[in-house]
This record gives sequence, structure tokens and C-alpha cells, in this order.
Amino acid sequence: MDFDFTKEEQKFAEEVERWLVDNHDPEVMDLTRENFSQLADTPARRAFMQKLAKQGWLGMSWPKEYGGQEIEGVYEFILNEALARHGAPQIGKGVGIIGKTLIRHGSEKLKQEFLPQILSAGVEFAVGYSEPQAGSDSANMQLKAERVDGGWMLNGQKMWTTSAHFADWYWVGARTDPDKPKHDGLSLFMIPMDHPNLEIQSLPTIGKDTTNQVFFEDVFVPEDYMVGEQGRGFRYIAEALDLERFTMFTLSPIEDRSKLLVQWAKGATRDDKPLREDPNVRRTIAHIVTDTQVAKALSKRFLSAAMKGDKPPSIESSEYKLFTTTLSQRVCKDALDLTGAAGQMREGQEDAPLAGRFEGAYRATLNETVGGGSSEIQKNIIARRKLGLPRNF
Amino acid sequence: MDLALTEEQQMIVDMTHGILEEHCTIDVVRQMEDDPKGYPEGLWKQFAESGLTGMLIPEANGGSGQSLTEAALVYEKFGEFLAPVPHFVSSVLSARLLLTVGNDAQQAEWLPKIASGDAVLTPAWLEPNRGYGEVGVQMEAKAEGDDFLLSGVKRHVYFASAAERLIVLARGPQGIDLFLVDPSADGVTLTQQLSQSGDAQYRVDMQDVRVGAEARLGAPGMGWQAFNAVLHEGIILLAAQAIGGAQKVLDITVEYSKERVQFDKPLGAFQALAHYMADSATHIDGGRVLVYEAAWNASQDRSISRFAPMAKLFACETYREVTRICAQIWGGVAFTIEYDCQLYFRRAKQLQLSWWDTPYLEELVAEDVLRDD
Repeated sequence: MDFDFTKEEQKFAEEVERWLVDNHDPEVMDLTRENFSQLADTPARRAFMQKLAKQGWLGMSWPKEYGGQEIEGVYEFILNEALARHGAPQIGKGVGIIGKTLIRHGSEKLKQEFLPQILSAGVEFAVGYSEPQAGSDSANMQLKAERVDGGWMLNGQKMWTTSAHFADWYWVGARTDPDKPKHDGLSLFMIPMDHPNLEIQSLPTIGKDTTNQVFFEDVFVPEDYMVGEQGRGFRYIAEALDLERFTMFTLSPIEDRSKLLVQWAKGATRDDKPLREDPNVRRTIAHIVTDTQVAKALSKRFLSAAMKGDKPPSIESSEYKLFTTTLSQRVCKDALDLTGAAGQMREGQEDAPLAGRFEGAYRATLNETVGGGSSEIQKNIIARRKLGLPRNF
Repeated sequence: MDLALTEEQQMIVDMTHGILEEHCTIDVVRQMEDDPKGYPEGLWKQFAESGLTGMLIPEANGGSGQSLTEAALVYEKFGEFLAPVPHFVSSVLSARLLLTVGNDAQQAEWLPKIASGDAVLTPAWLEPNRGYGEVGVQMEAKAEGDDFLLSGVKRHVYFASAAERLIVLARGPQGIDLFLVDPSADGVTLTQQLSQSGDAQYRVDMQDVRVGAEARLGAPGMGWQAFNAVLHEGIILLAAQAIGGAQKVLDITVEYSKERVQFDKPLGAFQALAHYMADSATHIDGGRVLVYEAAWNASQDRSISRFAPMAKLFACETYREVTRICAQIWGGVAFTIEYDCQLYFRRAKQLQLSWWDTPYLEELVAEDVLRDD
């Protein structure tokens, strides 16, 4: 039993931390964007990702023949937690699910076209799985892909494509085989995001940023931009989630929000009395700190299982995500309760406690228990895979 | 980062499991409820022979000198099997108090006997209408020449009738002291008090009980410091016990939910119930790692001032909540004596109330977090 990172891992964490401090840039690193800070959605943020690429920190776990270093995934975990802690863009879709799926199933052409660009941060992706009728029921995609001469014609709609308004390429699941069972009728495609027949509509959120819906009207995709085999799309999607073990929902922003709240509570007063002497405040803080440590414990549990490498840590990651996202929302709620009436003031208001951070986070974290597999989906996974309970939906 | 058990740790777990499976069946657990002695001789003998009674005592004093991490693994098993044993009061608290502040003679007299299971010692700490902190210890130890006269009332003294010595917390001239007191001495009266879990606990009335200076553990006035430090270690083990109990009651409930059919479906096929169980599993797994990390930190000689109370706070809340959920899933039968669910339900709440309760633990965590840097 060992709860510490190894010396080498600690050294890497320190190296990353130093580099992030040296390369601090408020235009790139913005904690107030909360979860959206992970996106490389501005020129400055893309330039930052390219600097990260020059450090050799993109695709570290990839096979050497594709330009990777074949080092353990834990280094990507360490990197992403550090990036998230600084509010910097994170390594994600490109080196993660998309790159890894291309390596395993992509044609030579797609590998040559995309893998080098991913490693140099020359391309940004948007992922299109969700649709109006495919939310938690993710295999229920209806976007139609019909065979035409030389390729496929796509018609329909995607939802929640967060990166659509800045990405270069669209990674899309579509129904190629409507007569087969729903999991077997899907295929993956790659489409340039500036395709004239794609219409991107912004869907503003109560967070600081926007997500998008994307409409397809006779979008032609050449044959060779289908990824892997026809009809295996959903398997690739599921497999990629298993392959991508180390860069998931990050803990460090939640940890740091808890710390921020504790620091604030230490100095705040109400009616001239230190807030930290209030028994209710003490009780709330005790539970936030304890539950944050439990979230960290679940993260370590997940990481330890992922490093073993024998089977995908799907139960561990479900438990981690379920607990941590619930906690994340509660920390923000508790923070507003502790700050009282002043807590409602938004970022930018001079009198807002903690510069309005928690009012913003209270909004931004709402989606954490939904996106990336809702809490209910996580519980279904735990019930089925861990407890062996019967299928219940 | 590797949370797997070592081979040696796994062996200790397996051995403990084997002993408990054979000698601590549910029938034994049920028989021991409200028993004046409170533990079965056969089981305790097995503990002694296997070295469990001396696991936290150094080899030089007759034990095997295991770390708190191994002890936590063992306590998880105690929780799973609801083991009615005086291990915590004797082999943990009393042994660690003797090790921390006992002099050579006291250690030589008692540690080997604790390690071999031949003697049971137990702390006498809590007092009527008083709290869990230092200020709660008000029993007087009046100095008279070289002797002390102890007067007052202690409650929740576990296994007192089987104990060879009580370790009594009392206020001497310079603060709180610890005294070794023979429970059969003049002026000591034991009265069994029936508890929620049916364990053997006693009220101890003391009227001018005379002890010599040689009965005091440690330097004058240092009693609370020692007790506080030892209990910080101890609550990590109780947290492990809570996790073990929670896991077991969830396990039997999951199995039941696969067999019991209502509306033509097994209970476990209803999402409302499946999600309760998934939540429970998540809290248990998180709590378990937290407890291991607390124990591991102690084993590495790192501070446990925050980890220990966090571990018991979370683990005992989880145990309590999981037993409530499980009883709900079992339905009406959980309310009957016959079904085992109630055994866990009662013990979970008692464990949460004992050896520092939720408000006290919250305060320990808050104080550690909110004090000045």
C-alpha cells in the first residue's frame, strides 16, 4: 500500500507546476471559466497548447511508432490535474479518444493526416455524439448517413457540441444501418467543421460559455473519412472511453474551491464576529473538507486501478464521478450559504465575496452531474457491473 | 500509488477472516448480546493464539509489532463479523496507553499479558452529563500522602467485569492523570448497562478508591494528552470497523435484492432500490480508501490530526446511512429480531455515538482546518 506518487512522478509534477508558473498568462489561464477553461478555444489558448506540444507533453502515452513516448498514463493524469488547477486548457479529445481510436482502427490515410497534427496541437476537434433523442440513451443516435456515390450523405441534428464554434474537425457518430439493432447501426465519421452544409447554432448556458447544436443538411462525407468499419461506431466509442483512463473529470478545481472557501471562512466576519467561530460554519467546513478528501480517495482508487492496467477501471471511475460531481455542486451551494446575502452578487461586482467566484461556480457546476454520463447512468453502471444487479432499464 | 495489499497484509486478512468465520458466527454474536462478560472465551483464545491480541504491541513486549495499517485491515473484518471482543479497549487503547506513558515496570507487568490475551484492561473515561473532551473528565483524584483517592462515576466502561484493571481518567493536582485500578478493589461498584448493540458495558461507581503512586501512568497531568493521542489512532480502527460492517450489510442486502420478487421482478431490478445500493457502494469504497490512507499515514509517522477524525466521521456516517438504506430494502423483515439486518442497524448507530461522536469529530476537523496558519 502506497498513497504517494513515485519520486519520478513527483518530479514530473514539480516540473509541470514550475512550467505553468513560468508560462502564466491570464488570457490563457482563467479559473473563473470553471469547466470550460479546459477548451483551447481562442488563438492564445491554441498557442498555449502548441507550447505544451513542444514540451513533449501531448500524446505521452501513445505508441512510439506514432510519435508517443509509451510512458504510463499516470503522467497524463498528473499533467491534466495541474492544467485544471491553473485554469489552463487540458489535453483531451485529440490525444485521448480520437487519437487513440485512430491508432487502433483508423486507416493509414487518416492516421497520417491527423496523428501528427494532434501531437503538434495543430488541430482542434469537436465531438458529436449527443442528439435531441440521444442524451443518456447515447446509442439512440438518429443522424442519418445514407450511402451515395463515393461516400455518405448526412442529414439530421447534433446537440451539446461544445467545441463546434472553434474546432477544425468534427468527430461524429451517425446511423448507417437503420435496420440493425441500435448499437450495431452506428458508424464514426470525420467532417471539416467549416463544411458549408453544417449549421452551427449557439446555445448559451447559465455558465460563462456557450455550447452548440449543429444541423446537417446534405453533408457529404467521402468514403475514406469513415473511421474504421461500418456499423462498429458505438463499439469504438465505448472502447475509447475504456482506453482513455487517465484524463477524465479533474479533481483539482474542486479541491482548490474547497481550499478557497476555507481561506475565506478564516478571515470573514459577520456582525463583527469571526465567521469561523460560528458552529454552523465549522460544521459545514468540516464536512466539505472531509468529503473532498473522500473524493480524493476515490480518485486515488481509480488511478491505482487504472495503473494496474488489467481491466478498464469503469466501476472505479463511475464511483469517482458520481461522488465528486455531487460534492462539487454541494461545495458551491455551501459557499453561497456561508457568504449569505452577499453571495448572490455576480462576478465583476465590486462587493461580491471572493470576486463572485462561487456564484459563477454554482451555475457552472450544474452540468457536472449530467454531462459525461449523468449520476443516474453512473449508478446504473455501479449497480450492474459492481453489484451484479439485474438490468433495470 | 498502489492501493493493493501486500502479500503479508493479505495473509493477516485471510487469517482473521478464517478465525471469525469459524468462531464468530451470527449465532455467537447473538448469544453474546447482553451477556455480562460480553465475549466468548473460545474466540478470544483464537485471537490470542493467532497473535491478534498483541498485534500493536512490540515484539520486545510480547507482541508482533504490526502497524496501524494491518490493524485497520483486521478491524474491517471485526466489523464484517460483528466480533464481540475486548480487543479495542485492551489490545489497542490500553496497550497503546501503556506503551506511550507507562513506565518499565507497568509495561513489563501488563503488556505481555495483554499480548497473550491473558489479561483484559479497559479505559474508564466518560462521565454522566459530560462530554467527550478534556473538560469532560471531572472525576477527582485526591492526593493523600503518596496515594490517591478516586471518587466519582464513570460510564460506558466496556468489558469492565472481565477486566483485570481499569485505566481511569481522573483529575489529579496537576491535571488529568491515568490510574490503573483493580475493578474488584474496595469502593468500586460495577453495574451493567444495557446498550443499543447489547455489548457489555458498565457504569463504574467509585467511592474513595485508594491507589498508590505506582498506579499512575505517566507524568502528572499528562493523562489527557496521552489518551487523546491514543484515541486518535484508535478511531481510525473504529472507522475501519464501520466500513467492514457497512460492506457486509450491503452485501447481504444486494443478495437478498436479487432473490426477493415483487411485481414479478427481483427488488434489485427496481432503479429506486438499485440506486440506493450503488450510492452505498460508492460511499463505502470512498470511506475505505480514506480509512486506509489515515492508517497508512499513521504507519508512516505522519500527522493524523485531521485524517483520523475525518475517517471516523465519514465511515460512521456511511455505516449508519447504509444500514438505514438496507433496512428499507429488506422491508418489514428488517424490523424483526430474526433477520440479521437489525444487528448492523443497531451497531452502526452505537459506533457513531461511541469514542467521539459526529459533532465532536466535526469540531476536531474544523479546529484543524480553521486554526491560524
